[in-house]
Amino acid sequence: MTQALTEQERRKIAEATKPASSTEAEPHVVVESLYKSFAHNGGRVEVLQEINLSIRQGEFVCLLGPSGCGKSTLINIIAGLDAPDRGRVLIHGQPVTRPGVDRVVVFQDASLFPWLTVLGNVEFGPKMQGIASGERRAKALELIKLVHLSKFANAYPYQLSGGMKQRVAIARALAMDPEILLMDEPFGALDAQTRGMLQRELLEIWQATGKTVVFVTHNVREATGLGERVFEISARPGRIKHAYAVDLPQPRSNSDPRLLSLQQKILGSLGEEIAKVMQDETGLPYEPQEGRVAAAPDRALGMHI
Amino acid sequence: MPGAWTIAQRLVEDFHQTAFVHALGGSLRRMAIGYVLVTAIGIVGGMALGRFKLLDEVLGGVAVSIHAIPGAAWVPLAILWFGATERAVIFTILLGATGIVIVHTDSGIKEVAPNILRAAKTMGAKGINLFWHVIVPAAIPRIVDGLRLAWAFGWRALMAGELLTSVAGLGQMLNTVAKARQLDQLLALMLLFAFIGASVDGLIFKRLEQSVRTRWGLA
Repeated sequence: MTQALTEQERRKIAEATKPASSTEAEPHVVVESLYKSFAHNGGRVEVLQEINLSIRQGEFVCLLGPSGCGKSTLINIIAGLDAPDRGRVLIHGQPVTRPGVDRVVVFQDASLFPWLTVLGNVEFGPKMQGIASGERRAKALELIKLVHLSKFANAYPYQLSGGMKQRVAIARALAMDPEILLMDEPFGALDAQTRGMLQRELLEIWQATGKTVVFVTHNVREATGLGERVFEISARPGRIKHAYAVDLPQPRSNSDPRLLSLQQKILGSLGEEIAKVMQDETGLPYEPQEGRVAAAPDRALGMHI
Repeated sequence: MPGAWTIAQRLVEDFHQTAFVHALGGSLRRMAIGYVLVTAIGIVGGMALGRFKLLDEVLGGVAVSIHAIPGAAWVPLAILWFGATERAVIFTILLGATGIVIVHTDSGIKEVAPNILRAAKTMGAKGINLFWHVIVPAAIPRIVDGLRLAWAFGWRALMAGELLTSVAGLGQMLNTVAKARQLDQLLALMLLFAFIGASVDGLIFKRLEQSVRTRWGLA
């Protein structure tokens, strides 16, 4: 696995618009025995437990797991928006203590600023960096073009569809020219067609810019379609259960038998986690069986009709 | 009880009288001055409470308490301090309506959606930049809600102030016609209060609120 990926990465770095700032040998993002818990119902819930990751410069990794497994928490900690209880995150060997402009997050709800136009949103980061208005405008317009929204540069977010909002969020993140894109289920709320289109566009952007991407999703097909590596995170506590190398070149075909068999393998493992979450949430044993609706033994179907 | 037609006729006649136009002008001027002060003090005060935790702990309760006192209850104190003057009326508007603006601005600033703040922070916004370019604009829908309510509260406080002072205005006129037992005139004036209050609310504030809510994606 390592050999092929190193090969692929070398090519990517060569393609990148600017030279990589670190040597290939040194990992870009390292997560070291990270722990995080939250107060919950008077007690504490361990959300992340002993998380270790090492991500290379320019790599596309996916964090895959059921809802509530702590994927978003991990993204927030890497972003520096949240602090771990124990362990640390290193970027180029430097520990993360606060948000940095080298790491930008794209959220599921896009989180655009509703009082700014598309252009205003994309310009926001450079403006905060004190970049002159002419320069940042030109750059913003270029990025808006990259995400195919030139016609909507002066539109406000409320006038855009969900997919368009996510495109703006991606352009807004790229305007910071970050080394790392942290994506927290960015396409989770979109319909299948729009999602597929944005996935392809994201891959193109990734290949063109050589950014390191950490992509959170609960969708196996999405994770295996995008990531060079997929980390499966277990539910409560969130631990890295498996790391899968997706050693297939982009663009990947959805019907590629190697991809399908990998998806089957991951789905099987993920199913156990989903059952755990279901049991946690409903307080009942849950055995996923095909063709059956999960039901409590003490159910009284139609009682309240 | 005079009929609607009589009241309407009376209203038309009123507009031909210098004293009435003078009173109406005086009331509107006081309301305008009072409302500008309410807006300025309310927004600045609310922002200060929202931004500085210590200030909020010391003065946050005061703002809520002031907001709990009806505007009319300030009139006696206003007269004690300023005499039965125009200043007393404006003071009454100020105390009657500023609290609601402070409370709304403050809560708007504290309740900015967490992801909006996170997004801004990852893009390098912090300190005063974060406050001006993110937190304040994000709070605008709440601030507008506060301003709309402040208009209604201020308008009531204006009437209370004018009823109890002898400053030339609609409130004082109401007193005069009531003493003279001119019921048609009294009802005509009350109708006018309702009309002005509701028109400003409907034509200005409701529209403003609607357009803000649409743009902020809340409608």
